[in-house]
Parts: sequence; C-alpha cells; structure tokens
Amino acid sequence: MTPEQQTEKAPFDTDAVVDEITRFVAEQTRTTPDVDQDLFTTGIANSMFAMQLVVFLEQAYRVTVAGPDLQLSNFRTIKSMAALVGRLQAESAADSDV
Amino acid sequence: MSDGHFAEHEATWRLVKENAGGWDIAGEIPRTVLSGLGAAGVLCAEVRKEHGGLGLGSQESGKLTAHVGSLCSSLRSVMTSQGMAAWTVQRLGTREQRAAFLPQLTGGRLAAVAFSEPDAGSDLGAMTTQLRLDGDTVIVDGSKTWITAAAYADLIVVIGTAGDTAAAVVVPTDAQGVRIEKVPHPMGCRAAGHARVQLEGVRLPAANVLGGTGLSLPFLVTTALAYGRMSVAWGCVGILRGCLGAVTEHARSRRQFGKPIAEHQLVARRIAELYAAERTATAVCQQASECWESGSPDQVIATVLAKHVGATEAVRGAASALQIMASAGASDGHVVARAYRDAKLMEIIEGSSEICQLELARHALATGHGTARQEEAQ
Repeated sequence: MTPEQQTEKAPFDTDAVVDEITRFVAEQTRTTPDVDQDLFTTGIANSMFAMQLVVFLEQAYRVTVAGPDLQLSNFRTIKSMAALVGRLQAESAADSDV
Repeated sequence: MSDGHFAEHEATWRLVKENAGGWDIAGEIPRTVLSGLGAAGVLCAEVRKEHGGLGLGSQESGKLTAHVGSLCSSLRSVMTSQGMAAWTVQRLGTREQRAAFLPQLTGGRLAAVAFSEPDAGSDLGAMTTQLRLDGDTVIVDGSKTWITAAAYADLIVVIGTAGDTAAAVVVPTDAQGVRIEKVPHPMGCRAAGHARVQLEGVRLPAANVLGGTGLSLPFLVTTALAYGRMSVAWGCVGILRGCLGAVTEHARSRRQFGKPIAEHQLVARRIAELYAAERTATAVCQQASECWESGSPDQVIATVLAKHVGATEAVRGAASALQIMASAGASDGHVVARAYRDAKLMEIIEGSSEICQLELARHALATGHGTARQEEAQ
C-alpha cells in the first residue's frame, strides 16, 4: 500500500482501510485479529506496537495523529483505527492543521 | 545541513571543545553558552522554521547531535532534553500549545522532560506524580528524580497520572511549589544538570496540559521517549568519534618499545574494534533516521535498536579507548575519561539496555523477521 492509493478526493472506504490495517497487524504480529478484537487485552499490541500503528496510519493515510487523538482507545481495535482515520481525513479536508 | 550549522557556530564548537573538560570537572556549563545555543535553535534542531527552529530532518539533526556528542556529552544531553521537550509539545500539544511553547524553546529558554521517580524507573507504570484538574487550572504534585537538564530548565514537561489516564504538563520552574535540587555528583555527563524535581501543589493554567488528559501512560511515555532515544543513539556515535579522534592521534605519536604504540598489534586491534564500533553505531542510527524521515512505522523498532546498539558500542569502545590512552587519558575532564563515564550512563537512560532488549526480543518474536518490513520482497 502506498499513500498514492489514498487521495483526499476519494470517498473514504472503511472496508478497504480495515483490510489494510488488518494486513499490517498480521504482517507485524503473525496474528490476524477480528476487527472488533481488543489488541491490547488480547496481548497482540503493547505501547511500542501502538506507536508503530500511529506511524503506519500517518504514513498510509497522510493524517497526523497528535495530541488528544493519541489515546489508546483509538488504537484498541482495527475498527476504532479505521474510524480514527476516517475522522482525521474528514477533519483535514476541513482544516489543514498539521 | 551541508556544513552550515557546523560552520555557522564554529566559534561555539571551538569553545565547547576547549571547555568541555573544565565543565565536566566543575559540573556545570555556563548558562550563557546554553541559552546562546538555544536561541540559535541548535538545542532542538528539528523544530520547524515556523516556530523559530532550524527545521532539520532526522539525519541532519543526528549529524549535529553526534558532532556535539563528540565534544561534550553533557551539552549533548542538554540537547537531548530540549529536543525531547520540543518533540513532546509538537506531538501531544494542540496547535495553540505548539505556537505558545515551541518559540520559547528556540528562543533561549531551556527545557527538560521529567519521567523518572524514586520508585518508578524502568517501571514507569508505578509513577505517582498526579495532575488534578480544577476548573481552568491544574494542580501538580509529585517527585521526579535524575531529570537531565532540570537544573538549567526554565520549563519542565512533567509526565504524570490524571485519574485513570496520563498527561504531560508544561511546568515553569519559577512556579510556586517547584523545587529543584541538583544531583550532587553524577558519575557521567557531569555538567548535564541532573536534578531532583519536587512539585508540591503546583497550580498552573489547564492550558499547560499538552493535548489535555485522557492519554495512556505507556503510550505517552513511548511517544515522548522516541525522540530522546534517537538523540542518545546519535550522541553515542559522538562519544565513539571523540574516542577515535583522541586514540588515533595518541597511538601514532606515543612510542613504547621503540615504535609508535599503533604498531603493536594488540593496540591496533583495539583501534580496529573502535573504528568498527563507530561505523556500526553510525549505520544503525542512519537507518533509524531514514525511517523517521520517510515516516516508516519501522522507525519505532529501529530507534530502540539504534539506542541499544549505540550505547553498547559506546561503552565497549570507550573502555577500549581508555585502555589505549592509559594514563594519558585517565584524568577527569579528558575526552576519553569523560567518554568512559558518560557512555555508561547511556546504557541506563531513556530505557535501559535491558528494557531495549525486551522490546527488541518482543518485536523479533512477534514478526519472526528483522526490522525491515520487506515490502520489496513481496
């Protein structure tokens, strides 16, 4: 996946984002979690991996995850990460605060 | 950076080189030197130009850090603290907070970041410093220990708990209830201003809490430490370069048994090892900085690797360098004597070698391969 595949104009495709995040998690942990699975309580993620997830989302979707968005709850499940990306992309379309 | 930042501050670097030994012995760097470098943006060189910074990328910032580290690890430690404070503000703060605090950090004010507590070192989850929100103010109580650069700092980014969550708050050291006590005789980086920070009922505007409360403590710590680890890693490259410079000069000129000691094979082997150590540390740092610049998620593990390899090589290299220098390098203040003491602290701070090893092992076990995501191979 490259950033070029995601453009600001393209409609946000939650399923595709969920698939991409799932692939990244699988590649990094050799585990394919369910979209609703809590990655932290099920031992897949720790704070270091959470940081990797932050950087991954930033690189793949050209968003900035800063300040209050760095809450663990945003990274708890693949679904919550996809929701975060959707929200950040919508916000950055409205206001390009980087 | 080309050589811009080296050339531009050449007089300063000369002053640092000439005085680093004296600062080590005195346990202090003159404030004017620190605030001068701070106002030139050099102490946190990655801050963007819009906030008065130099806007350097990780590689160029790393080169600068290694250069300073080769001259004086105490000054480099102050840079690490200032840079980590700026990074934490950049990463956690709102746009308003970045605009409020970053220009201060590039304008001559000095900063530190406070994690460790008497009972919370590697186990930062045991942290007891508390932030309590009270209307539009926040009250901070706690005790932080061995905070690098705190003795010089105008601002300290204090990490603490906030109810069930965690937060980072910018504490001006002149606020009521803040007490700073210098660590009397640190064994390394003696002029880096290590201090104990006591916070008793310190009341500040809630706007000083970076990004608000609600963060997870391990996540917050990992985020803030990432910059510090990178900076320490490049600082270790500097330690090795400082040693290599002193040792190669000495081994060519010092004669024993009728020839320069460099021609004795046991000495030559140590020089080869020191050179290999410097190249190894440089390579892992460059690789990690490349990840930072490209925004690759690999930066997280690459940073831990760089810090761990850098510190390990610096400790071994400095010990070897001192063995070659022998009595010529065995006085406090000498660049190699400092390297020997300073390097050891690098295995302890910003995540001990053991903590780094646990993280590296966890990563290797999880992925089953190295740090590279090996996209090319797929």
